[in-house]
Amino acid sequence: MNILPFLKPVSGVKTSAVVLLSSLLLTACAMSPTSPEGSENVRTKLTQLQQDPDMTNYARVELRDAEAAVELAEQPVDNDEAALAAHRVYMADRMVEIARAKGETRLLEAERELLAEQRDAARLAARTREADRAHAEAESARSSQAQSAALSAREAEELQRQIDTLEAEATERGLVLTLGDVLFATGSANIQGGTNRNLEKLVDFLNQYPDRQVLIEGHTDNVGSAAFNETLSRQRAESVRQFLINRGVASRRLTVSGYGFERPIASNDTATGRQQNRRVEVVIENRE
Amino acid sequence: MKTDTIRCAFSRIGLSTTLIFAVLTLMACASAPLPPTQSLNDARDAIASAEQAEARQYAGAELEEANRHLAAAVKAVEAERMAEADRLARQASVAAELAVARTEAAKAAAINREMGRGAEALGEEMQRQGDQQ
Repeated sequence: MNILPFLKPVSGVKTSAVVLLSSLLLTACAMSPTSPEGSENVRTKLTQLQQDPDMTNYARVELRDAEAAVELAEQPVDNDEAALAAHRVYMADRMVEIARAKGETRLLEAERELLAEQRDAARLAARTREADRAHAEAESARSSQAQSAALSAREAEELQRQIDTLEAEATERGLVLTLGDVLFATGSANIQGGTNRNLEKLVDFLNQYPDRQVLIEGHTDNVGSAAFNETLSRQRAESVRQFLINRGVASRRLTVSGYGFERPIASNDTATGRQQNRRVEVVIENRE
Repeated sequence: MKTDTIRCAFSRIGLSTTLIFAVLTLMACASAPLPPTQSLNDARDAIASAEQAEARQYAGAELEEANRHLAAAVKAVEAERMAEADRLARQASVAAELAVARTEAAKAAAINREMGRGAEALGEEMQRQGDQQ
């Protein structure tokens, strides 16, 4: 009953002024108890974490607990409960920090899986590279081996071809090339006609295999004295040696001997046999 | 009227009985604020866990803070300020938990750094091998 007569005279501008004033007073009253000192800072920190997708992902439970603690810290308290307010703010702050630390730990652990994957990938790449290189090396070794094998096979083939061309006979002593007496006139040590197809092939062969030693042995039939035949056989062998030297074969490779009629290869009773016995044998020693 | 009744009772029960009653009441009053045993035990456990987790090495400040709060809580118990003791004990617990959490984060970061270095070294090794080729 007392209030109404008091309000009645207030009208127009005055009414609105009073409403404004009272609302301001109300706001001031509402504000002061809702924010204990320090709670705003904690709320700010928590909001930051809540806006971080990694944190909301990895520290969901801790953030919820921190949220509850912060809400409690924001509760208004009586003026004589400042210690309680400070305690709540402290608790909220530490819980926010715990949420942050746990979120960071789990994020690091998640990253670790990624790191391990990267490391495994790098390791795998290194191994693959290593294996590839080893494979390539083995391959090239194999091919070079094959090459050298092919080369030596070709060489052997070539030698055989040369030997075949030479019409030489492979014996224990080496390749034996028999030059018939058609080279020489009877009783003469000079090579007829200056050149001879067999001798040319011998020169080619010796030039191609320069590390082989050569024995040149002269032989005769049993016509005439032993001394004559020995001299003649030596001279014929010497003629062949000279021929080879003239064609560029090193003289130190060439050894000469005359055996006369000591080593017949056929009977001296027939003309054919005697012809076979009159010969120069060129022994190309086997490579040691 | 009431005072008359009490006086009547006093006279009836006797002075000795009244004295015993008074002493009992005082004792009850003295033991009413119980020490926050649960909070204190929790705090001690939390600090022990933190020490177990090598918090001294990785989060020494936080562990120190927890110990400080616990000591203050014990003092508050002695001074029979039990509400304060409870709060301090809870603060000690949460500080010790933070020490553990930060220790674990620091350890995780160290492991990741180590792994990163390992991967880097491997990468460099590969690079070198690549250069040699």
